[in-house]
Amino acid sequence: MNERIIHILIDSFPKIILPGIAMTIPLTVIAFSLALIIGLVTAMIQFANVKVLKPLARFYVWVVRGTPLLVQLFVVFYGLPSVGILIDPFPAAVIVFAINEGAYSAETIRSALEAVPAGQLEAGYCAGMTYMQTMRRIVLPQALRTAVPPLSNSVIAMLKDTSLAANITVAEMLMATQRAVSVYYEPLWLYLEVGLIYLLFTTLFTWLQRRLEKRLNRSVKGAQNA
Amino acid sequence: MLEVRGLFKSFGQSEILRGIDLTVEKGDVIAIIGPSGSGKTTLLRCMNYLERADAGQMVFDDVTYDMKLVTKKEILDIRRRTGFVFQNYNLFANKTALKNITEGLTTARKIPAEEARETGLRMLEKVGLAGYEDYYPASLSGGQQQRVAIARAIAPDPEVIYFDEPTSALDPELTKEVLEVMRALAAEGSTMVVVTHEMAFAKNVANKVIFMEGGRIVEAADAETFFAAPAQDRSREFLHGLDY
Ligand SMILES: Nc1ncnc2c1ncn2[C@@H]1O[C@H](COP(=O)(O)OP(=O)(O)OP(=O)(O)O)[C@@H](O)[C@H]1O
Ligand SMILES: [Mg+2]
Repeated sequence: MNERIIHILIDSFPKIILPGIAMTIPLTVIAFSLALIIGLVTAMIQFANVKVLKPLARFYVWVVRGTPLLVQLFVVFYGLPSVGILIDPFPAAVIVFAINEGAYSAETIRSALEAVPAGQLEAGYCAGMTYMQTMRRIVLPQALRTAVPPLSNSVIAMLKDTSLAANITVAEMLMATQRAVSVYYEPLWLYLEVGLIYLLFTTLFTWLQRRLEKRLNRSVKGAQNA
Repeated sequence: MLEVRGLFKSFGQSEILRGIDLTVEKGDVIAIIGPSGSGKTTLLRCMNYLERADAGQMVFDDVTYDMKLVTKKEILDIRRRTGFVFQNYNLFANKTALKNITEGLTTARKIPAEEARETGLRMLEKVGLAGYEDYYPASLSGGQQQRVAIARAIAPDPEVIYFDEPTSALDPELTKEVLEVMRALAAEGSTMVVVTHEMAFAKNVANKVIFMEGGRIVEAADAETFFAAPAQDRSREFLHGLDY
């Protein structure tokens, strides 16, 4: 690595990490938060066997999990305008990532709900609580504790997958790197650099996940060995 | 106070309860005994609507309910006047001992938190677990968990408490401490319906015994009469085989 390369790496660093902070992170955080809401509702509908809605929920999960994320991005960004629906790149990416991740989260949360012993719900009934009260106060907290590690993995996977948004002109990190490559003609070093920045971000998320798990362990101590 | 008439329940093709009639008077301690698979658990679960009966009537405090067509609201109301103790405790795993007791008071019955807390602490003391309010179920022994479960069931001052083999998951030593608590409850005049294999409990604490077999009540009698001289041959054989 000579001086020129070092110079290029330092020069390009802010150009790559700033879109990361301005686009990659917000896209991940916003889309994942929405995905959690979608996933929770979808999982609850299936868990509670809600008529009519349950087949719809299954259909949604089936379609989304069975098609590539990139195709979903293209359908929304390049396809929908032909029926008069125009969405800007960033909101389009948020919508697609939220809907996509929502389906995976739904499955994670559903299986976590099913892992809570049926006796917990029955004990809630016998304590005089309604279905919703028992779900909110007893079953969901235990299920979420189980769901946190797999959901954290999903956040990290999603953070990396946001690079796909470059394909629908979202100016995120990969696109910024491609631009830098076209200026400096150093693809190897620049792509390694963006890889390192992704690694930095995912390490940060992993660290946050650990802290969250520790806190949850403290507040719902023993929930896992019920 | 509580009466069940013509209760039927099937799971798929198999008929589990085939016309159960029983009456619970205030202050009764009724022991339900019988061989495994005779439908004892199913009977209790139907009485608290954890299972929906196929047919039957319940008269509770002079109000008659159709056990098949009873509404959600009625079920909630009935459950709030009864307590249920499970064989495997079923304590809320994400709540402390105290919160296990207060949850049904604050969330279900909208009792103010401070008042619920006082009741909860009083109940813990009553079952011999003063000082254990902040323990999570996972760090309690089976006997302690079951006593918390009993505290949870009695905290709202229910009119009747159902127990489904409350000690059969416990070692003899722990069984004793739980039976002690139940004996004290009975002495206070609590109305209890207890499915049990503990014949000593049935004989010494219960005032009535119901012997079930094959989804029917074979014999219902005063505990004293039942143990001294069972009227039915099947009851006699059952008692004989138990060797308690
Ligand atoms: N949810 C269910 N689905 C199908 N069959 C069931 C169900 N619950 C109970 N049964 C069957 O009903 C019969 C009676 O069960 P129940 O648990 O009421 O008996 P029990 O008298 O409580 O027995 P034990 O003394 O072993 O606890 C058994 O044959 C059991 O297999
Ligand atoms: Mg049973």
